Amino acid sequence: MALSTGARSNGGSATVAQRLQKELMDIMTRPTSGVTAFPDDENMTKWTATIEGPDGTPYAGLTFKLSMEFAANYPYTAPTVLFRTPIYHPNVDFSGRICLDILKDKWSAIYNINSVLLSLQSLLGEPNNSSPLNGQAAELWEKDMDEFKRYVLTRHKTPEELDAEI
Amino acid sequence: MASPSPIPYDRRSSRASSTAGQPASDLLVVGGPPNSPSPLELFLRASNLPSSKTRISKIPPDLHMLEYVSSCDTNLICLICHSPFDKPVKLACDHYFCRDCLDHAFEVQPDGHKTCPTCRGRVDTDTGVLPVPKILEKMLDELVVKCPNTKSGCTWVDSRVNVNDHVMLYCEYTLVECPSHECRLPIFQKEFHKGCLHYTLSCEHCHTSLMKKDLEVGYITQRHQKTHCSNRFTACPHCDAEVLRLDLKVHVNDSCPKMVIPCPGTILGCHFTAERTEVIKHENACPMATMAPHFRDQQARIERNEARFEPLARKVGILEDGLSNITNMLYPANPNDSSFPVTNPLDPNHSDAFPPAPLIPTPDFRLPPASFPPVPPTNDQSQTPFNNPSQPPFDSQVHHLLTLHDSLRDEVSRIANALTDLEGRTNMMIINENQRVKDEMLHTNAAINSMRMQLHWLMSATLHQRTSNSTGTSTARAGGSTSSNSNGNGRAQGASGASTSLGARAEASGTLHAPMRRLSDSTRQDTKL
Repeated sequence: MALSTGARSNGGSATVAQRLQKELMDIMTRPTSGVTAFPDDENMTKWTATIEGPDGTPYAGLTFKLSMEFAANYPYTAPTVLFRTPIYHPNVDFSGRICLDILKDKWSAIYNINSVLLSLQSLLGEPNNSSPLNGQAAELWEKDMDEFKRYVLTRHKTPEELDAEI
Repeated sequence: MASPSPIPYDRRSSRASSTAGQPASDLLVVGGPPNSPSPLELFLRASNLPSSKTRISKIPPDLHMLEYVSSCDTNLICLICHSPFDKPVKLACDHYFCRDCLDHAFEVQPDGHKTCPTCRGRVDTDTGVLPVPKILEKMLDELVVKCPNTKSGCTWVDSRVNVNDHVMLYCEYTLVECPSHECRLPIFQKEFHKGCLHYTLSCEHCHTSLMKKDLEVGYITQRHQKTHCSNRFTACPHCDAEVLRLDLKVHVNDSCPKMVIPCPGTILGCHFTAERTEVIKHENACPMATMAPHFRDQQARIERNEARFEPLARKVGILEDGLSNITNMLYPANPNDSSFPVTNPLDPNHSDAFPPAPLIPTPDFRLPPASFPPVPPTNDQSQTPFNNPSQPPFDSQVHHLLTLHDSLRDEVSRIANALTDLEGRTNMMIINENQRVKDEMLHTNAAINSMRMQLHWLMSATLHQRTSNSTGTSTARAGGSTSSNSNGNGRAQGASGASTSLGARAEASGTLHAPMRRLSDSTRQDTKL
């Protein structure tokens, strides 16, 4: 057992690359509507993803850009996911950091890019207001949805605007 | 599983990727003859490493890295590594993972709180990890994979269960450590016997430094000379076209328009010789060029036939020898008797001097008519009949042999007939003799029977006589005492006296019975003879 662990840990980066390659293949061949993901460069440790705001939520019709970064022992540890598009959401802070259990202690090795993105998409419609990163947003979500929506639209930037900024 | 420590693997695999990946640029061992220690080697030796044990050891294939020929059932795919299971295990909650994947997943979880990656159910690592059903392992074993060294040129494709043996034992493209003790770089197994190839050479065309091993390995050489070598193109010396150096010979021989070549009709005597373009124009008009392919075909056919001819000729020689041996055996004639043809049955000159049937029933063995010259059945000549122009044509020899064969066959059938005849006659004789003996036996039997009848009659007569005699004598004695001269009595007495004498004779014959029988035996024997 010690041997195989050793062999695998030294080939760890190869395993990550291989697994990500498989995920990319999967995403390309069977795309999920509403989410996209693509690696930034050849070594595949950094990806850029987008999710569309689900219908019936304040985010409907909006597209959000995210960055994902995979550690060398992915999928045994969660990727680091950040919103690149500014978003007004109870569980996302102003720098784009996300408070989601499956990206922290509830991460499991069977999650993949697609499942993470789908979880984030559903998080948009169902925020966890009991442990907010953005307290004001959490309060507003409970009290005044119209005001919340106005905040969302004020903060939102389309991907084109975002690119223009950079 | 072989168990070298993981450290050399690490070093080797990283080294392998750096050298194999960039053959031309990233050279670690610089210059020098094969065995001079480089700084790298010195470093490696210093940082040693269980050397002798791991010398030829190979890296076992990682099943996660394999390329599968066909897409695999999604139920056979581990949710963690997204590859078909490798050494799968089952959790109590009925979720399956590769053993390594599961161990890694457990590694990052806090002790005592191991959970199933799929359902987050609590797992007892000592008792909760169960073996999987055999059928699952079977299905995994049967998955068809490519050799992990496919990129290096191996074309092996087979069931996954065999991949370990293939890589560890058979695959020529498996990387092993260099045979040189100084050098620890990897090398393909098939190059192993060539000694250390890890020294630099420069490509003869572009003077780039290359490892000897990279020049040795065919596909890298070709790749270098086809795509990497900066000086890989060369101008054709005849037509100034730029071609790959590798293909220059082919170009000059087959396609260069300026190359001076003869007309294809040259084998028929056309003396036209010019540049290829001119020759192609000339070909259309030259009748000899048109004929050339046909002639070449014919030539090829003739050569083929000649090649076939040679063994046939040898076979005929052997057959001839055998035949003469047989003939000599059949007619072991006196060698001094030159008039007797069988000493040399193949010599048709003697066929006319064949003597009419000698003492022994000699077969009517006539040689074929002497329509062809004699063929002496000596070894050296019969084996090389075609180098000698004075030899008869092949056909007549065969014909001769065939005729000989026919006559021999006739003779054999004649002998067979004679044999059958003889057999019939013998059979007949035996049957006749049998008949005779049978008749005689019947005869004897009848005689014996009549004798027995006679004897019987005599015996019964005697017995009869005796009974009547005993009564007769008592009365006769009584009568005799009373009247001795009575005529009737006297006649009766005479008759009784005769009967008594007969009875005595019968008694005597009774005692003589055995010798009598023996006598009859002997008489039977006599009749038999």
